[in-house]
Amino acid sequence: MSAALRSLLRRPAGAAGAAIVAAVALVALAAPLLAPHDPLALDLARKLRPPGPGHWLGTDQTGRDVLSRLIWGARPSLAVGLLAVVIGTLGGVTLGVTAAMARGWWEAVAMRGMDALASIPLLIWAIAIVGIIGVGPVPLGPFQLPNESKIVLLVGVLYMPPLARVAHGGALLEARADYVQARRLQGAGTLPIMLGDVLPNCLSPVVVQATLLIAVGIVVEASLSFVGLGVEPPAPSWGGMLADARRYIFSGEWWTYLFPGLAISITVIGFNLLGDALRDTLDPRKASGTVRVVA
Amino acid sequence: MWALLSRLLGSAAVLVAVSLVLFALIHANPVSPARVVLGNDASEEDIAQFDADNGLDRPVAEQYLAWASRSLRGEFGRSLVDDTSISRTIAQTMPVTVELVLWAFLLALVLAIPLGIVSALHEDRWVDHLARALATVGVSIPGFWLGLMLIAWGAVGLGWFPAGGYVPWTEGALPHLRSMVLPAMALGLYYVAIISRMTRSAVADVMMADHVRVSRAMGLGRGRIMVYILRNALSPIVTVAAMSFGYMFGWALIVEQVFTLPGMSRALLNAIFRRDYIVILDVVLIITAFFLAANIVADLLYRLLDPRIAE
Repeated sequence: MSAALRSLLRRPAGAAGAAIVAAVALVALAAPLLAPHDPLALDLARKLRPPGPGHWLGTDQTGRDVLSRLIWGARPSLAVGLLAVVIGTLGGVTLGVTAAMARGWWEAVAMRGMDALASIPLLIWAIAIVGIIGVGPVPLGPFQLPNESKIVLLVGVLYMPPLARVAHGGALLEARADYVQARRLQGAGTLPIMLGDVLPNCLSPVVVQATLLIAVGIVVEASLSFVGLGVEPPAPSWGGMLADARRYIFSGEWWTYLFPGLAISITVIGFNLLGDALRDTLDPRKASGTVRVVA
Repeated sequence: MWALLSRLLGSAAVLVAVSLVLFALIHANPVSPARVVLGNDASEEDIAQFDADNGLDRPVAEQYLAWASRSLRGEFGRSLVDDTSISRTIAQTMPVTVELVLWAFLLALVLAIPLGIVSALHEDRWVDHLARALATVGVSIPGFWLGLMLIAWGAVGLGWFPAGGYVPWTEGALPHLRSMVLPAMALGLYYVAIISRMTRSAVADVMMADHVRVSRAMGLGRGRIMVYILRNALSPIVTVAAMSFGYMFGWALIVEQVFTLPGMSRALLNAIFRRDYIVILDVVLIITAFFLAANIVADLLYRLLDPRIAE
C-alpha cells in the first residue's frame, strides 16, 4: 500500500488532491482553534464589512465573521460527504461481495435490488424526503441528530448501487482466480476466503468510486442547505451562507458570495483530483470503466 | 425486444415501489395537512371534518389505491391546501423545467463533444491538458453557485441578461431566449465536463483499436478514419448523454431557485413548505418517471448502436 501511496503522491494531480483534502479535513477538525471569531456572534455595528484587518474575509449581513463561518462550515460538508459514503460502502460492498460469492438466488435478488435503487434520482429524492419528514432535528434516544442526518441516510442508501456493482464485478473475478481455487482445495472455508482473499483484493475500484462519491455528497449537501432543506440556520454551512448572500449580488458585497462558493469548489476539486489519481494508480487497466460517476 | 419489455416492467415496478415508500413516509408523519391548512388553533372536530372531507380518515391502503387509480387515469387530483388542480399546476410549471433542461442539454452536447474529440486527438498535448483541467473544474463547481456568479457577471456586471425571472415566448423570442441563457449555462457546465470526459476516453480507446491502425496503414484519409472512429465511439457517449439528461431534472430544480424560474421547483418547494403532500408525491413521481425514461432510452440507444451488447 505504501508503494501505491508513493506513486499516488508522485502524480501532481494526486498530490494536489491529497493536499486539498488533508487541509480541509484539518480545518474541519481544528475549527474551534482556527476560527478567529465565534461563527454565530452577531455584531450589527459591523455588518457587511469588506475584507480587512480583524475580519480577513469580511462580515455578513448580521456582522458575523465570514472566515470563521467558512471554517466551521467545513464540518457539515465533510460529515455529510464522508458518512454517506461510509454507509454506501458498508452496504454496497457487503451486498456485492456476498452476491458474487453465493451466486444463485441471493445474487439475483441483491443485484436486481441495486438496479432498482439505481433508478432513483438522488437530488430530487433528497429534496422530497427532507420535505416530507420536515426540516428539523432528529431525536434519537438521548441525542438530537441534526437535520443533515436525513440527507446522510438517504444519500448513503442511494450510493449503495454503484459501490455494490464495482465490488461485485471485482469479487466475481477474484472468486474465479487460481489462487482462490487453490485456497479452496487446501480446505479453507467460504467465510475466511471471502474476508481474507476476495474482499481485500476487490477494494481498489471501490476506493476510487467512494472518493468520487464524497465529492458528489458535498455538492448535494450544499445545494440542499442553499434551498433551506439542509443545515439549519444559524449553524454555519457553505450552502446556507450562499443563500444568505444572494441579494448582495446586486449591491456588490462580493465577499459574501465569492468565498463560500470557492470553499465548496476547491474542496470538491480536491476529492475529484484524488479520486482520478487513485484510479490511475490503483487501476491502471481501467477495468472498472472510465468515468462512471454521473449525478 | 425482451430486454426492452423487462426494462419497462422493471421501471413500472420501481415507480410503484417508490410511490408506496413515499405514501408510507407521508402517513408516518405526525403533522396532518389539516394543521397546516386550518392553522394551529383549529379544534379537533375541524381537523376530523377536514380529514373526512379529503378521505384522510380512511385506511392508508384504501387511500393509496384511490390515489393510484386516479393517477393511472392521468388525473392528479386537487391540492389539499388551496384546492387548485394539480394537473394545472403541473401543466404550468413543467414546460419551464423541460425547456431549461433541453437548452442545458443542447449546450452540453455542442460544447462537450468537440472538446472531447479535440482532447483525444491531441492526447497529452497542451490542448488535452487544458481540456481535462477544465473538465475537473467543471464537475466540481456546484451549479447553484455558478448561477450566482453568472448573475453577478452577466446580469449585474454587463447587463446583457436578466438576473432572473421567466419571460414567456409571447413577449418575444429574443427576450425569452435571453432569460434562459444564464440558467442553461449554470445547469449545463457540469454536463459539459461529464460528457467531454466520456467522449475523450471513448475516442481515445477506439483510436488504439486494430481496425483503426489497419485503416491508417492502408492509407485511408484522415476524414474517413475519423468517421470510423466516431461511429465506434458513439455508444458510450450516447449512454452517458442520455443518463445525464435524466439527472438534469434534479439539478434543474436548484438552478430554477437561483434564477427564480417558475418551474417545477416552485411547485415542489411551495408544496414542501405547506406540507401539501399530494403535490409532493405527484411532482417527485413525475421527475422519477422522466429519469427512468431517460435510462431506458440510454439502454435502447446503446443496444441499437452496439448490437454486440444485445446478445
